[in-house]
Amino acid sequence: MRLWQLPRVPVIVVVTMLALAGCQTTPSTLPAAEPRPSEACSWPLNDQTPRVVLVGAVAALEADGFLIRHTDLALGLVSAERTRILPGYGDRYDSWDRRGMFGGIGIGGGRGGVSSGVMIGFGGVGSLTRDATQLERVSLLAGAGEVRVSRDIQVIDWRGELAEARSASTADFCQRLRGAIEAGGSR
Amino acid sequence: MSRLLPTLLLALLLTGCATSPPREPPRELDFPFAPEATLRSSAQVLMANGYVVSHADADLGRLEAVFSRWPGYRVLVEVSGEGEQSRVSLTATRGGRPLPPQTLDRLLVEMQDRLGMWR
Repeated sequence: MRLWQLPRVPVIVVVTMLALAGCQTTPSTLPAAEPRPSEACSWPLNDQTPRVVLVGAVAALEADGFLIRHTDLALGLVSAERTRILPGYGDRYDSWDRRGMFGGIGIGGGRGGVSSGVMIGFGGVGSLTRDATQLERVSLLAGAGEVRVSRDIQVIDWRGELAEARSASTADFCQRLRGAIEAGGSR
Repeated sequence: MSRLLPTLLLALLLTGCATSPPREPPRELDFPFAPEATLRSSAQVLMANGYVVSHADADLGRLEAVFSRWPGYRVLVEVSGEGEQSRVSLTATRGGRPLPPQTLDRLLVEMQDRLGMWR
């Protein structure tokens, strides 16, 4: 077989892959979150001691369903994480598998006729087992005159692969955490 | 034959991926500040960049931060020294493979800025 007689699509794919192989280089600098963490994620410590903020932060995070992973009083650090099941996450992207949990209705045309059918039953085993897990990690640092919060979110799909990863130091989350700390600290 | 050539090309292409990760030396710098202040500034800079500090211990002089972007970044800060002198040693990995030391320069510059700011 001559070269130009090869099937075109695989050849194009291979040539493209070869061309792109050089693109996967290491970055020249460490990545930073884009957009940057919200300004609401750092606030002045004022007259509070880091210890008071840490005690409030541990209570606020635990009340919000977080598991405290680590604390260090000398630095003023709390590190916590929370997992959550996202039901049917896989179905959002697998549109061919979009069937109801309690069966489905189908009409199909074949050679020389049309057939229809109704399927009843608990057919949704696929979507039941395709739940993804969302992992949320938070760290809070209190000291040197300021409190700072950072947070990120990862979604791990039912295959155990990382489906989504994003930095999530959002104003909404930080304001709620700050409010909960200040409410807990004044008690 | 039609399958063989692309398969061979793909195998050639992937051979480069199967090497053991190279060892990178840590990026080191001396700071005229106490080890704890230096370690705290590294935590502040990393968190301001969106990193989440997963572990830090002032007595051990060690801090580990993670960044969730694919394929996963991890930065390890080690601080040694005593009094008003400290030496920072930084290493980073991307998807489990070490990053070259020069990628950490920006982090050190931001730490210097921050230490100069509140001292």
